[in-house]
Amino acid sequence: MDFSMDEETILLRNSAEQYLRENCPTSFVKEVVKEEAGFSRTMWKDMADLGWLGLIYDERYGGVGGRFFDLFILFEEIGKVLLPSPFFCSAILSGLIIDEAGDLRQKDEYLPPIIKGEKIFTIGLHDEQGRYDFNNPDLEARETKDGDYILKGTRILVPYAQVADAILVVVQVKDSDAGGPTIFKVDTRADGHKVVPLDVFTEEKTFTVVYEDVEVSSGDVIGGVGEGDAYLNKIFPKATILKCGEMLGGLERVFGMTLAYVKERHQFGQPLGSLQVVQHYCADMATFLETTRLITYQAASLLSEGLPCAKEVSMAKAWCSDAYKKCTWIGHQLHGGIGFTEEYDLHLYYKHAKASELSFEDSWFHRSKVAEEMGL
Amino acid sequence: MRFSFTKEQDEFRQEIRDFLKAELEAGVFCAHSASLVGPPSREFSLKMAERGWIGLTWPEQYGGQGRSYVEKMILNEELFRVQAPIGYHFLADRQVGPALMSFGADWQREYFLPSIVRADEGMMFCLLFSEPNAGSDLAAVSTKALKDGDYYVINGQKVWTTGGHLADYGWVLAKTNFDSAVPRHLACSEFIVDMKSPGVTVRPITNVVGEQDFNEVFFDDVKIHTRYLVGQENAGFKQIMAQVDYERAGIERLMQNYLIYERLIGYVKDMDEDSKKGEFYSRVRDSIAQLEIEYNIGRLLCYYTAWVIDQGKKPTSQAALTKAFCTQYEQRLNDLATRVLGPISQIKRGVKWSPFEGELADSYLWGPSYTLQGGSVEILKNIVALRGLGLPRK
Repeated sequence: MDFSMDEETILLRNSAEQYLRENCPTSFVKEVVKEEAGFSRTMWKDMADLGWLGLIYDERYGGVGGRFFDLFILFEEIGKVLLPSPFFCSAILSGLIIDEAGDLRQKDEYLPPIIKGEKIFTIGLHDEQGRYDFNNPDLEARETKDGDYILKGTRILVPYAQVADAILVVVQVKDSDAGGPTIFKVDTRADGHKVVPLDVFTEEKTFTVVYEDVEVSSGDVIGGVGEGDAYLNKIFPKATILKCGEMLGGLERVFGMTLAYVKERHQFGQPLGSLQVVQHYCADMATFLETTRLITYQAASLLSEGLPCAKEVSMAKAWCSDAYKKCTWIGHQLHGGIGFTEEYDLHLYYKHAKASELSFEDSWFHRSKVAEEMGL
Repeated sequence: MRFSFTKEQDEFRQEIRDFLKAELEAGVFCAHSASLVGPPSREFSLKMAERGWIGLTWPEQYGGQGRSYVEKMILNEELFRVQAPIGYHFLADRQVGPALMSFGADWQREYFLPSIVRADEGMMFCLLFSEPNAGSDLAAVSTKALKDGDYYVINGQKVWTTGGHLADYGWVLAKTNFDSAVPRHLACSEFIVDMKSPGVTVRPITNVVGEQDFNEVFFDDVKIHTRYLVGQENAGFKQIMAQVDYERAGIERLMQNYLIYERLIGYVKDMDEDSKKGEFYSRVRDSIAQLEIEYNIGRLLCYYTAWVIDQGKKPTSQAALTKAFCTQYEQRLNDLATRVLGPISQIKRGVKWSPFEGELADSYLWGPSYTLQGGSVEILKNIVALRGLGLPRK
């Protein structure tokens, strides 16, 4: 057990912290989401130049060849400021899938532009019920007699689809004996491909993607036909823990904002923070922060070392989901009316906590995984 | 950052496990749950002393091994896993030693520390802090130690003294400055008192479990030499606050019911396949997974606190937070276990229907004590808020 952070990680964290503090204040977050792209192209280029997008990818694709743990720390910083960008859907989710499942040509062709930020990928995982049910006939893939595919149907909750060059779609091939779903790379310029804005409460641009008989060539199948589940299961732990990193950062910020507020806000002729009931709320938040940090760092560290950690990942996501959300509740309770205004920043985190709780499954699901790992 | 143990640490853990397994198989002790430490057994402490496991973190000049707190955490984790009978040396090892090393006079260190490490006869300690009118408000102690030449004369009453009826020495907090203009926390001192001194009366108190674990202790003109004063006169409160960090930093606050936890999981695993299809099972499964997460987090908190101490930092707020978290886990565990086992949980030991040989009933009864002893959860939250977070005092 060694809880010290090594030099390299500290350097990365400090530089990310500084960059984001200077470039991504909450005023910027609130403005940029009103624009059509929903993120800043200038910052996007910076993120590529800083090596963030390619942090964990091999140098042959233009990546940095860095450690997963450092990427996790970067996401903690991103979570603090809630930087809106397609980083997660493009360089993480899509990048990891291509890296894991793609053939040599696909990796050579797709990974370098993703890492350079020249191309944006995103992923359509949710059926019309919002679940990860790839067998749902909301979306179907039919094999043509030439061995290509036709997609028909809908995926919802697809982030940054309006700026994406390609979307990875996970879907069952109809009447196929391949078993599981298949991952397709669909060009967003393809005929019959329609992107419709979806109004959600977070600061992440989100869309419905409609496929009206979109043709996908067999060369755009990522990985084996019917093997989509296996690839997703491989990359989900990493994606889940990066999401946890983001949540940890958000929790940290909510706690910081609230602590500062109760020290400064006076009622009954004294700072709110001198009231014991308020102090105990703050101690609870400190406990949520400390516990969330330990349990997510543990999973991130084990993943980074390539050690088995299915249980630790689920423990982290289950705890993180509940803790972050509860901290936003306490934060709102202690801020009172001011926290409920659009002008104040707290709501950004309140929304983010809920959206990320529901992303990659909530604590019910992950506790069930923990139980499974325990042999129950 | 590394969440695994070194090879040496793994080997150390294995060595402890092997020893404990052999002791258990030889019937030296049987694993009981629920109280802080099992009944004291000097024989067992002697075996630990032989292996250098008492005073593990203490410097070699006092007979210790100079090892890290993380290693001590490994040792304690294994001991509490089977509830080994470490009561004879436990308090002396946990907090008397560290306090003496921080504040004790040279002769006190030279006399007591090696002797504690060897588990010598007459070296069992108890802690005499709380009083009828000084519980959470410890600075309100009214037991007096009046200086009279080379002696102090102690009068007053202490309460909740765990092991007081067995201990050889008591570690006493008493008032030494009676000027009402002096703040209370600058008016008390710490002493080591021979519990066999004339004027010391120990009266056992029966607790909710029906056991005599703690006591009230009376001091009637108990005369002790000034050399038994520990540290500075009137600095006792400050000294004690540093000492209780060690009291709160331990894994014992997470693992007093470890056996219940193991047996609960075993019980649920063994449920028949039909009952595993029902709604009851899915609720139980969810609740146990939640406990498992809390247990794992509690364990990480303990190791993190140990690591903080190893870095030479004061763990005050960290230890308070850890203890508050861990003891609440223990209460939830006992609650869940009794609900899973159902109405038979209330059957006390000694009859065929009592689950886990009656351990479950006892552990539920011990429940309220966990979040009180060593600082109530509320006091601990105050410490986190005031000392850790820098929130203003009223």
